[in-house]
Amino acid sequence: MKRLQHLLEYAAVRALLLLVDLLPVRVAVTLAHGIGDLAWLTMRRRRRIAVDNLIRSGIAPDARAARRLSRVAFRHFVRVVVTSIKSDAHWRRHPWQECVEWCVPEEVAALLDDPQQGVILASGHLGSWEVGAQVLSHRKPILGITRRMNNPYVDRLMLRRKPRHRFELTPKRDADLGRLVGALGAGKALAIMIDTHARDRGMVVDFFGRPASSHTAIALLHLVTKKPIVFGWCCEVAPMRFRFYATGPFRFAPTGNKQRDVRTILEQLNRELEAAVRSCPEQYMWGHRRWRVPTDEAPKQP
Amino acid sequence: MVRTQIIDRLRDIMARTATTEHDWSRIGEGDTIASLGIDSLSMLDFVYDIQQEFGIQFEAHELVAVTTVGQLATFIGERTTA
Repeated sequence: MKRLQHLLEYAAVRALLLLVDLLPVRVAVTLAHGIGDLAWLTMRRRRRIAVDNLIRSGIAPDARAARRLSRVAFRHFVRVVVTSIKSDAHWRRHPWQECVEWCVPEEVAALLDDPQQGVILASGHLGSWEVGAQVLSHRKPILGITRRMNNPYVDRLMLRRKPRHRFELTPKRDADLGRLVGALGAGKALAIMIDTHARDRGMVVDFFGRPASSHTAIALLHLVTKKPIVFGWCCEVAPMRFRFYATGPFRFAPTGNKQRDVRTILEQLNRELEAAVRSCPEQYMWGHRRWRVPTDEAPKQP
Repeated sequence: MVRTQIIDRLRDIMARTATTEHDWSRIGEGDTIASLGIDSLSMLDFVYDIQQEFGIQFEAHELVAVTTVGQLATFIGERTTA
């Protein structure tokens, strides 16, 4: 029964991919908005999570504003998928260099353009993260760590479809230390999303003033490899027009107090992400359960 | 630092970072690190602790070829006497 469900989902995804491939960008984006609206109307639980997150974070002043913003964010999420699919075809007619504006400090630019320099790239589910990785891979090869999808057929399809140019993906469970460290040693950017819930293996730090469990791997990877951390995100400023922002580079020396070192790094990165989200809140994925640690039950951590 | 001291301190570090329980006093040179419940995330903790505890600096990729506790003790011994 499960297999049948997975095959049906796979067929639907294939059909959608084919449709999006065939449609012109403008029509595909309109379709994305329609699908986003449909998802907003039908996925009540996700919608409630998004509205709640928008209110609790202080981004939306009231429920009405939160509902409006959540709808825009749902549209944007589907748009992220569609623009990612369309990007290659679009850039064959409009060179990607003409579609991307770089807002990157000089020191970060030098790191990105140095083929010997490995960089830990921190980002979140903000803006057009897929396109961001694609365009950045023209400056520096990227290894992204991805979570396996529940549907194995769709998972295999995405692993074939997503990598572009010098952007490759490794499933999270295959991401052994040797592979990650090897990528950094080879001068690649190791891209890590910092806004996924880390369950009991994370460290609780504030994000928008609320406790959120954050993965410690990015901080430990920096501390043991000494490779600089760059925080980056890519906003869509017009249809198929993007602005790539980066802050940093961030470097932290280990002090011997591991908990404190990791906390310092995670707090800095969460602050960077929070500031970025505040700059374009309608492009953040508000519908995910980032804050699963109840405020009054947040464990006291050093 | 003598080899037995290095292995004793490694047992302490592994006991803190491993995700599975072991009788750490019985862990010896021939045991593989992978068999001790040290996954990729624990490995990062492990490397941090080794660098700090032994006061040595090394490129993390140098550890990739190290698979047993004995090899790790040799790796650390070479750097602490260097």
